Amino acid sequence: MFMNRLSKSAIIFIAFFFLFTTPAFADVERIYDEAGLLDANQIKQLEKKAASYFSEWSTDFIVVTTNDIEGKSLKRYTQDISDELEEKLNRPEDNMVILTIYIESSADREAYIAGFGKGEEYVDDARIQLILDHIIPDLANDDYFEAFELFFEKSAEYLNIRPGVNPESIFLNTYLQLGVAITLGGLIVFIMAYSSGGKSTVTSGTYLNRNNSRIVRKHDRYLRKTVTRKRKPSNNSNSGGGGGFGGGGVTRAGRSHSGGGRKF
Amino acid sequence: MVIQYKCPNCGSDMTFDADSGTLSCDNCGRQDNIENFSEDFIATVFEEEEAKEYQCENCGAVIVTDGDTTATNCSFCGAAVVLADRVSGILAPSLVLPFTISKQQAEQAFRKWCKRGLLTPKDFKMADRIKEITGMYVPFWLYDLKNEAKVHAIGTRVRNYTRGDYIYTETKYYDVYRDLRIDFSRVPVDASEKMDDALMDKLEPYQYSDLKDFKTPYLAGYIAEKYNYDAEDLLPRVKDKMRKPLDDYIRSTISGYHSVNYKDKNIRTAKTKSLYTLLPVWMVYYDYEQAEHIFAMNGQTGKVVGKPPLSKAKIAGWFASIAGGSFILMKIISFIVTGGINF
Repeated sequence: MFMNRLSKSAIIFIAFFFLFTTPAFADVERIYDEAGLLDANQIKQLEKKAASYFSEWSTDFIVVTTNDIEGKSLKRYTQDISDELEEKLNRPEDNMVILTIYIESSADREAYIAGFGKGEEYVDDARIQLILDHIIPDLANDDYFEAFELFFEKSAEYLNIRPGVNPESIFLNTYLQLGVAITLGGLIVFIMAYSSGGKSTVTSGTYLNRNNSRIVRKHDRYLRKTVTRKRKPSNNSNSGGGGGFGGGGVTRAGRSHSGGGRKF
Repeated sequence: MVIQYKCPNCGSDMTFDADSGTLSCDNCGRQDNIENFSEDFIATVFEEEEAKEYQCENCGAVIVTDGDTTATNCSFCGAAVVLADRVSGILAPSLVLPFTISKQQAEQAFRKWCKRGLLTPKDFKMADRIKEITGMYVPFWLYDLKNEAKVHAIGTRVRNYTRGDYIYTETKYYDVYRDLRIDFSRVPVDASEKMDDALMDKLEPYQYSDLKDFKTPYLAGYIAEKYNYDAEDLLPRVKDKMRKPLDDYIRSTISGYHSVNYKDKNIRTAKTKSLYTLLPVWMVYYDYEQAEHIFAMNGQTGKVVGKPPLSKAKIAGWFASIAGGSFILMKIISFIVTGGINF
């Protein structure tokens, strides 16, 4: 009886194991390091991470590095690569977030992120700029592995946040919320304790004799003026880390996407 | 010299009744208007050489008082007595604000106030350990002050406008001058050494429309004190008290500027009048955890002041519920806004 139950649950466990983990260990490649920025071990780790994110979000997180973009813009190159991958993967739902790194020379490097499907909705142009803000410093320091890990983490985090909300808003920060709550509680209790002894209800007007109080003489003489000027803040939303470019678009295969890129 | 008020009906001692505002007899219930009370029934006994020892006319006992008391009760027979020599001459008050809250009302109002405290311990709220509740006429000076203020200041007006690629900020400076006459009427300052100034200040305001010319019968049945500080002594305190109202009035006459920077404030304050006035205060002595807590109540408006004991448990409870509640609320809002799962 006991054995019977045990073997039953073992079968169920194994069935579930295959059902849910098979895609993760299937022969899907998500890291294409043609520029040779990572070692074999790092690639293996990133593949494993990307696979586990896929099983959680059914979204492919892809990293492509290259020294050759075949004379296209990095955006066009990313679109084409993405079209190829989409065909190869042949997912029922086309959910993808892709980061391409183009190394022309050590002084001339670019990164571009594009989101497809759920990726387009949740990792939109504005959020791609936020991800770039996070990863550009690492990229510029040649810490590619850390940058790619961060790219995964941030993209996954944003997939969890309703589109249109600024995910970096400080009002969503737990520590800030905790701080506000404690301050509020402390302040209100302090005021309660302070005012428990009764407080003065006399105002500045209580003893003022309005009939006799008046302005006897006054003047307001213009003396001088100073003028300072500052440049209007530009409306260019691409900021930091060298020239930005991009925004979303439509691939040759007709897939629309969000996007954003930056030189570093 | 002591003054006692004898009931024209039955000869009992009469006291001032806060409810009716009359001199009334506890024995037969007779009430007499203070303005028309016949001189015949005021029993006065002049002591030899205005001695500092007074004798009760009823029972002959020595009335033990300290040097500041002007009205009290005989500690043996309870008769209300007024020490006449201490409310005459330069010690004669000009005005008195009679009690409108009786002892019972004061006790009720105090109990109600105790119950309202959100941070006070539960057993304090029962308010069942009132040790003593005493009606007291506290000596005050009511000051009329005349102020002449000559003020120089620099005021700025700031304007922003855009031309081309630039935002311009234009700041205009003005020389502002005000010559002001500012009068204050009947600012109360307590003149008793025994009374805590901060406590007395919090009892304000009083309704001055009920002020009466001083007559000794108002004191019958209450404790009263004479002033320890005269009007000159307390002038610095009243000036200090009026500093903020003065500054507020000055500021209110300078409008239309983004910022006002005072260069020079020349204020001359003169006292135009100071009236020695007795204001009604109920003093409540309350025993709680081996310590005596003193509260004061405005005898006209019923306002209660004084530090009640605070319960640490209640403070912690309020803090935890406000902080915890607002934190959960913010988390719920975050959850709704982000639509997220692991927020």
